[in-house]
Amino acid sequence: MKRSRSLIFALILIVLCSLNAAVLGQGKAAKNGKANGNGNGPAAKAPIAVSLPKKKDSIKFVIIGDTGTGTAKQHDLADILFRSRATFPYEFVLMMGDNMYGGEKPADFKNKFEDVYRPVLDQKVKFYAALGNHDEPAQRFYEFFNMNGKEYYRFTEKNASFYALNSNYLDKKQLEWLESELAKDTAEWKIMFFHHPPYSSGGKHGSDKQVREVVEPLFVKYGVNVVLTGHDHFYERVKPQKGIYYFVSGAGGKLRPGDVKDNSPLTEKFYDRDMSFMLAEIVNNQLFFQVLSRTGETVDSGILVSRKKK
Amino acid sequence: MKNKKHYKKRLFLFVFAMLISTGYQSFTLSAGASNIQNKVTETKLSPQDKQIVNAFNRHLKDYLKQRDRVKKKLQPLSKDATPEQIDAYQKSFVEGLRGMRAGTKQGYIFKPEFTQYVRTLIQTEFRPRDKAEIKQTILEADTKGVPLKVNFPYPESKELAQIPPTLLLKLPQLPKEVKYRFVGRHMLLVDSDNSLIVDYTLNALP
Repeated sequence: MKRSRSLIFALILIVLCSLNAAVLGQGKAAKNGKANGNGNGPAAKAPIAVSLPKKKDSIKFVIIGDTGTGTAKQHDLADILFRSRATFPYEFVLMMGDNMYGGEKPADFKNKFEDVYRPVLDQKVKFYAALGNHDEPAQRFYEFFNMNGKEYYRFTEKNASFYALNSNYLDKKQLEWLESELAKDTAEWKIMFFHHPPYSSGGKHGSDKQVREVVEPLFVKYGVNVVLTGHDHFYERVKPQKGIYYFVSGAGGKLRPGDVKDNSPLTEKFYDRDMSFMLAEIVNNQLFFQVLSRTGETVDSGILVSRKKK
Repeated sequence: MKNKKHYKKRLFLFVFAMLISTGYQSFTLSAGASNIQNKVTETKLSPQDKQIVNAFNRHLKDYLKQRDRVKKKLQPLSKDATPEQIDAYQKSFVEGLRGMRAGTKQGYIFKPEFTQYVRTLIQTEFRPRDKAEIKQTILEADTKGVPLKVNFPYPESKELAQIPPTLLLKLPQLPKEVKYRFVGRHMLLVDSDNSLIVDYTLNALP
């Protein structure tokens, strides 16, 4: 009897202690939020549940498109992006273009990009941008877009090559460059990112057949694995086309609700109810992805396998 | 026993037919792909067209020389510049070019015969469906309010109409310093580094 009483007492004590700790923690977080200049700041909230393998030495990155609005909703999504890093320490972010809507004065770079992603930039995360139809080519000189003065470029991370294309102006020079780079590329993962989607179920824009006509033969010929795009303001995972995985991730700052065509034969999975971005992780011949909405909900996830056998 | 033999024969024939059809399919797919590439890169020029394109290139070279002279006087722009540095660079570039090109009129580079060449090219080199797609892509962009004025910068707040790559591959290739642009049906030549409207021509898109 005496023993059970002391057990109950101990339990009550534990509960009270943990409650106290939670209250203290909340207070501390709220303070941090205020220090960020906004009562709803990133530090005030819990980390986002990320279920990728989160392996050591894997390639961890983010895919986001059509961001450049500077609206409160873009800030909300950026907050989810920031908080997801607590459990999934991605090293870079791929931008699908339309990085700056409207003006491109110095104040716009601050309001529509730097202020939005400041917590992530402060953690030395690199952004790699592609150009969209709302982007001045001069963005290629901007320090935080890491384009190195080029409208199209390639960079390599471990066993993956990432190609940024300027789909707004795919001229002969660019296509020749693409073919020459692909021809010498031995990476297991060849990942393209650009603005206009060769395949999309969007009602407003949809598949860009003109772009598809010139790039798809090269993608097929040289074994491109994944194509990431934006332009349509929603998320879509397209059924593999000629062995290539196509994604539309164009809801990083704008949303076109209900724009995905009903019963589109292209769609494997889509989400057009809220803004979203993708987390991705490459582990050897597997690419894991998880799509998060503005509320932190996981709206799609999966694993892609590279065609090239190790 | 006879049935079993018959079944085996049918199975063999079925597998054989499948192999043939798969082989044919992949052959036609790859043949299709190379056709696409050939289709968009080949543009045969008549002697008259060659003259028009050569004249266009000559006038364009004049602009590039002027541009070089202005650019040499500018502090080079770093590849990791701040927005303020980009803005200042573009403004100085535009100012220098406007000074050097003062009095340049519309049509200095885009001669009427070149405009006609582009119109004919679009009319004759593309199938009706492709033509419709090209027009749709160009006209889809919201470019209202872009001033059609030589030596004025293309407003940075305005959308840039995507130039369909199949059309770009047919048009005379440009050096990296300049780009074709469309505002509605009108074609522009715009500087890649400072967005200056170098020249424009009306109704190049039929």
